[in-house]
Amino acid sequence: MTYKGFRMSRSDFVVTCAAALLCVSVVGCERGAQLPSGVTGNAENGKLLLRQYGCGSCHSIPGVAAAKGNVGPPLDAISKRVYLAGVLPNTPQNMARWIRAPREIDPRTAMPNLQVTEGHAQDMVAYLYRLR
Amino acid sequence: MRVQLQTLMLVLIGLFAGALIVGAVALYAGFYNVAATHQHFRPTFWLLQTGLRESIERRARRIEPPPLTDPALVDRGLALYHAQCTQCHGAPGFPPQLFALGLTPVPKNLAHAARERTSAELYWVIKNGIKMTGMPAWEFRLSDRDLWAVVAFLRELPLISPEQYALRVNGETRPSFPTADEPRKTSDPERGKLALEQYACTTCHRIPGVVGEQAPVGPPLDRIAARQYLAGVIPNTPDNMIRWLRSPQQVHPGTAMPNLGVSDRDARDMAAYLYTLR
Repeated sequence: MTYKGFRMSRSDFVVTCAAALLCVSVVGCERGAQLPSGVTGNAENGKLLLRQYGCGSCHSIPGVAAAKGNVGPPLDAISKRVYLAGVLPNTPQNMARWIRAPREIDPRTAMPNLQVTEGHAQDMVAYLYRLR
Repeated sequence: MRVQLQTLMLVLIGLFAGALIVGAVALYAGFYNVAATHQHFRPTFWLLQTGLRESIERRARRIEPPPLTDPALVDRGLALYHAQCTQCHGAPGFPPQLFALGLTPVPKNLAHAARERTSAELYWVIKNGIKMTGMPAWEFRLSDRDLWAVVAFLRELPLISPEQYALRVNGETRPSFPTADEPRKTSDPERGKLALEQYACTTCHRIPGVVGEQAPVGPPLDRIAARQYLAGVIPNTPDNMIRWLRSPQQVHPGTAMPNLGVSDRDARDMAAYLYTLR
């Protein structure tokens, strides 16, 4: 009986440990930095606009149809990138500035000025900041 | 029931003893390679990173940060950071010293760490250091106010462009010591892969096949062989790649990528590896 009791509690212990490990690993995966403030645009619209402006011909962008370009850098997890274009700290405001007037920030960049309006840029930023 | 359990116990004890013997033989025969040029296996690296993160998080949980936005505090933090931290961690566009590139684990890029970590966690790490990593404890070196000053500066670091950083340290640059090595005609992608580890490239880039932090400070280098532009400004040709790896600050002034004193041979080998990433 004592053996049986011992065995039961041990198996319980094993199950508990496994469950705890599972919880820890799930929590570990879910954790991340808080979303930076300043994202105001409409992400769904932004996704559409990224396609409309042809961003995908130069960049690969997860979730945007046919966006598989490899002229400039891939934009997966772009919200976590520390610098934009290698020169600009990545904040939502700076990203919108960069999208609207890349050559004002870096005169030598290959990225063209596509006449993106402020509202459109904000929407694109909202989508890109979802890529974590 | 009892017999089965006894057999099980015996098998377990046997396995445990066997593991002990194998472990002891491996330990005393010197099988474990302690070379800093020998990066951890991927699972080991993951295990160490995870343990590190969890340990820091647990210990920083009860720390309450003071207000950190006072500009004087941030400036004090910048002065301390520039004098005491950049040797290993560098700064935007400002390289670490040569010795730091050869450390395993290689010191992290702190603009990225500051984005991912809370103030309490940064404070805990600076105060207590981290065993077996080269990160020293600053508790007995800096006052509590100065420890927080460094944290206050780190909070701002991800928002400072390379250009602004240079201005704030009065244009100071690190003297470079270009590595002199005999030029070679051939290149070796396998050696290039090791060189990418040894120049700390994974502290800022995701590079397929290279074990390391793979922090997203700069762009990921997946499919870099087929990318059309480097740094957004020059066409991706082998010669340009070598030039970019050796003197990023000349190719693209204002870039966050520092000059790391890469030799011609090392740049050639790195390029050879990078061009295998199609």
